[in-house]
Order: sequence, then C-alpha cells, then structure tokens
Amino acid sequence: MLIYTINRILHMIPVLFVLTVVVFLFMQMLPGDVIDTLIGDEEAEDPETRALLMKEYGLDQPIYVQYGVWIGKVFQGDFGKSLITRRPVSLELFESIPATVYLAIVGISLSILIAVPLGSIAAVKRNTPTDYAAQVTSLIGISIPEFWFAIMCVLLFSLYLGWLPSSGYMSPFEDFGQSIKYLILPAAAVGFRQAAYTTRLTRSSMLDEMNKEYVDTARSLGFSEKKVIYKYILRNAMIPTITISGLQLANLLGGTVVLETIFAWPGIGQAIYLAIIDRDYPLIQAGILVLGIIVVVVNLLVDLLYRVLNPRVALN
Amino acid sequence: MTTLNARNGEGEERLEIQAPTIGDWFKSVRMWFSGAFDELYKSKTAMAGACMLLSLIIVLVFAPVISGYDPVKPDYNAFIQEPSAEHLFGTDRFGRDIFARVLWGGRRLVSIAFAAVFFGLILGIPAGFIAGYYGGYTDAMIMRVVDGLLAFPGILLYLLLVTLAREWHLEGILNDLILIFALGFAFSPEAARLSRGAVLTEKHKEYVEASHTTGEADLYIAFRQIGPNCVSPLIVESTVRLGYAILIIAALSFLGLGTPPPTPDWGGDLSSARDYMETNPYVAIFPGLAICYTVLAFNLFGDGLRDILDPRVVER
Repeated sequence: MLIYTINRILHMIPVLFVLTVVVFLFMQMLPGDVIDTLIGDEEAEDPETRALLMKEYGLDQPIYVQYGVWIGKVFQGDFGKSLITRRPVSLELFESIPATVYLAIVGISLSILIAVPLGSIAAVKRNTPTDYAAQVTSLIGISIPEFWFAIMCVLLFSLYLGWLPSSGYMSPFEDFGQSIKYLILPAAAVGFRQAAYTTRLTRSSMLDEMNKEYVDTARSLGFSEKKVIYKYILRNAMIPTITISGLQLANLLGGTVVLETIFAWPGIGQAIYLAIIDRDYPLIQAGILVLGIIVVVVNLLVDLLYRVLNPRVALN
Repeated sequence: MTTLNARNGEGEERLEIQAPTIGDWFKSVRMWFSGAFDELYKSKTAMAGACMLLSLIIVLVFAPVISGYDPVKPDYNAFIQEPSAEHLFGTDRFGRDIFARVLWGGRRLVSIAFAAVFFGLILGIPAGFIAGYYGGYTDAMIMRVVDGLLAFPGILLYLLLVTLAREWHLEGILNDLILIFALGFAFSPEAARLSRGAVLTEKHKEYVEASHTTGEADLYIAFRQIGPNCVSPLIVESTVRLGYAILIIAALSFLGLGTPPPTPDWGGDLSSARDYMETNPYVAIFPGLAICYTVLAFNLFGDGLRDILDPRVVER
C-alpha cells in the first residue's frame, strides 16, 4: 500500500507540471505588454521605469527562467497581487474556499441521500415500471443543464412564490436559519445533477454485485432477502459508487463557476468568474491553478480510498 | 452495368472485373440501413434517442423554411410577447421571435459540437492506434501523456482558452474554432484510450496475423483492417460526448464567455433572459428546453447504443 501510494504521488507530478505550464503559458499568451497589464497604464509611460520594472519582474530573462522564478513563488504561496483590489491573490482565494467547500459538501450529501435509495430500489425491482421511472428520471436529470435548473428554481421559488432569496450568501455561524434559506437553492442545483449520476451508478453497481456467486451463497444459507440486499449487496456496491462520486467532484467544482455566479455565492468559482470579467489576470491564473490542484489531489485521495475500501484490487 | 474487359497479349483469356454500379451501391446502403435499423429496434432507448435526434436534425436543417422570422433583426412592434399563433414561443425584449432564435441557435450549437467531437477523434484515434499497435516504449510514452491529460480538469482548460480568445478579440468563426479546439482537445485522450483498448483486443486475432503474412503495411493493417472493428466503443463515447459538448458550450455562453449577442445562442439567450424573465418567463423556458431535448436525445441514443453494442449490458 505504501509503495502504491508513493507510486501514485509520483504519477501526480507530471500532471501538476502540465497544469502549471499551461497556466503559466496563459499569462504569456495574453495580448499586449505584460508590464501594461501588471502595472496599469499611467506608471509605465517612461522607458526607464519600464526597463527597471522589466528587471524587477524578471521579464528580461529567458522564458524557462521566468517559469522557474514563478513556480518558486507559487510554492511559497505568492501568486502576486490582484490588479483590482491590490491585495495578495492568495488572500482573495483562500477567503473564498470555505464557501465553495460548504456548498459542495451540502450538495453532495443531498445527492447521496436521494440517489442511493433510488438507485438501490431501481436495481432490486429491475425491469419493472419503478425501475424504468427511476432510469428515465435520472437520464433526464443528467440532460438538464445545471444553470437552467438553477434559473427555473429562482423563477419559481423566488420570483413567483417568494419563499427563498434568489441569490446571496450568509455564513452559518452568523445566523443559522437565515443561512439555510440562502443555501437551499444553490445546494439543490448542485445536488440534483449529482443525484442523477449517482442513481445510475448505484443501480449499475448493484446489478453487477447481484450477479456474483456470494449472493447465491448467502441466499442458500437462508439469510433473509433484506439482509442479503442491505448487508451484502449494497455494501459492496457502495465501493465503486463512492469512488466515482469522488471523481465527480472535479466536475462539480467546475460547475460551481456557473452556479456560484448565478447565486452570487462568494466561492472560488465566482472569484474566477469575476476575475475573468474584470481582466484580473493574476487572480484568474491563481484561481485556475488552485482549482486544478484541488481536483488532482482529490482524485488521488479517492483512488487511495478505493484501495482501502476494496483490498482485493491488485496493487500494481 | 459497366464491364471492363482486360485482354492479354493474345486476346484469348478474358478477365472480367465488374465495377459496382449505382444500383449495387444503393442496395448495399439499403442493406446497411436495414441492418442498423434491426439493431436499433432491439433497444427502445436507442429508438427513442434516434427518433428525437432525427427530428431535431430535420428541424434544424430546415430552420429557414420552418420559421420565416429573422433571428437577429429587432422588431419594434413586437416587444416581449407571450406565445401565440404568430410567434410560437413568443418574442424577446427586442421583439425577436424566440422560436427562430432557438432554431438558429441550435444549428450553430449542434454543428460546433459535431465539429469538436470530430476533432477530438482525429487527434485521439491515431495516437491510440499507434500506442496499441506498436506497444512497448511508444505505448508507454503516449499513454503517460494521455493519463496526464485525462487527469486535467477539462472545464479549466475551456475557461483559459475562452478567456484568451476574448482578450485577443477573436470574434465570429475564430471564436467558434477556439471552442471546437478546446472541446475536441479535451475529448482526445478519452478517444485515444478507447481506440488503444480496442486495438489491443484485436491485434492478436487471426486475420491480423494473416495480413502480416501477406506483407501488408503496418498502417494499412492498423487503419483499414483493425480500424473498422474498433468503431463501436468510439461511437458510443462520441454520442455521449456530443451531449456533453452541448452542455459545456451552453454553459460558457451563459457565462458570457461564448458568442457575443445578437448571434442566437441557447446559453447566451438564457443569460440575457434572466433580466426580465419575471415579465415573460418563456424567454427563459424555451432555450433551456431546447438544450434539455438535444442533450437528452444524445444521451438516450448513446445509452441505447451501449446496450446494443455491449452484450454484457443487455443481460440486465
């Protein structure tokens, strides 16, 4: 297991390298002079100042040296300063992470609460109207764009019924009841699509397990059907389900860019979106890098978790 | 019927080669279609998806005939109308017919999605074939890159590229090309992985050995002989990818990072509908329904095809 873990971490290095190179090149490929984008127009008129700034930012160096200097700073958590607020980018980003994590956790929990029972029922009652209904619902669920679902929810629950606020955020530590009101719509929008995926996943991994021999053995030993399903099949079926839901987190974090924007949710997704609109390049660069690193690390953790849950899988 | 007579020197022996005629060609096409239809008929899901796709494509191709309205030109006598016999889906705040905008937006969106998936296949299939066919170091090197790209969170790549396109003021067709490139590039590692897998299962079969014996060139064997046997997993994945591509393009233009307005666009129209959907909810409902219909059609078709092409799943 230790060797496998080390191996997996080593595999992560080229991925992270590609990620940093792409993000670094993004900055280089922007139109215009980097000095202009970094400093703003007023201060960079004078050629002497420009030369000084070029030297200060290391822009007179060859590109691989610039990359090395940049990556060194990134390792120290220095992503530069925001062009809009003039505050360190790392500060802006780390302030926005809790809101995203909060939304993601509530959304995923919501989806598991809906999807696992629905998927199990569909698998147990396979090829019955119940199963077809669950299958059709989940297929429609994965076909609905999350932003449209979000808009329709806002239209119905905020604009027509006036039950819930259409956007905004409140920390649960400030006013719990009020913060739940702000949370419901975004969490539902994050959760519904996830729920559709997980339902399909639960159903198919339950079916895979049901065909295995140990199930027949358990039945022939006279265990009740309930016990066979809940104690044996569901438990084993959960292993791939949890793994793939974990990998879905990458998609979910990508989706937060859209959903956080719609609901004015102050997370990392909205921060990146606003940075793109405001042309705040250091913030875009750092935001995408941080989101990418989160996804890669979560993938690694999920993979390791899978091995822990399922020791039968060969470690290669 | 065309008959080619090839005579040798003495004119005694006659070699007859029959070139296929239009009639033969038509017959083989008909056979292929009836074969495909029989297969499709096995799965209700695939049939439903195929019918939805066919109707969608017909409607999109004949958009100019079906709706006489200009999707871009404002009509100052028809601001924000509800659906009526004159305007099937109503009109938006510039008096433009929503039905016409949905149709024309769909033409663009579906073509971009097809182009993107096609581009991904063109990039991915040769890489996968070469990796699978030659094995060894070639395989290891190609697959390392593929693994790295697979782990790269796709949505971030889209955001970076689309931001770059915006900064360089790429408009119209260039902007679409960037989208096609980004989506296709993100699909290519998956295409490479699938085609490599298919080549690996095929390459030790007898017909391949036979071709080697008769001295066919490697490339000829890989693409003309093994190739056709690897099509099915790629078709299934491409179909599902088409639906996914449409969701992504719509999400990007919803964020205002895709096509700039007046061009009809499902995502962009939804985004501008948010400002006045309280007065006329139809502006927000119909483009969203169009996305759902299209994505659902691709998902149903892909799911059904998977059932047909993968016998293991049919048993369920």
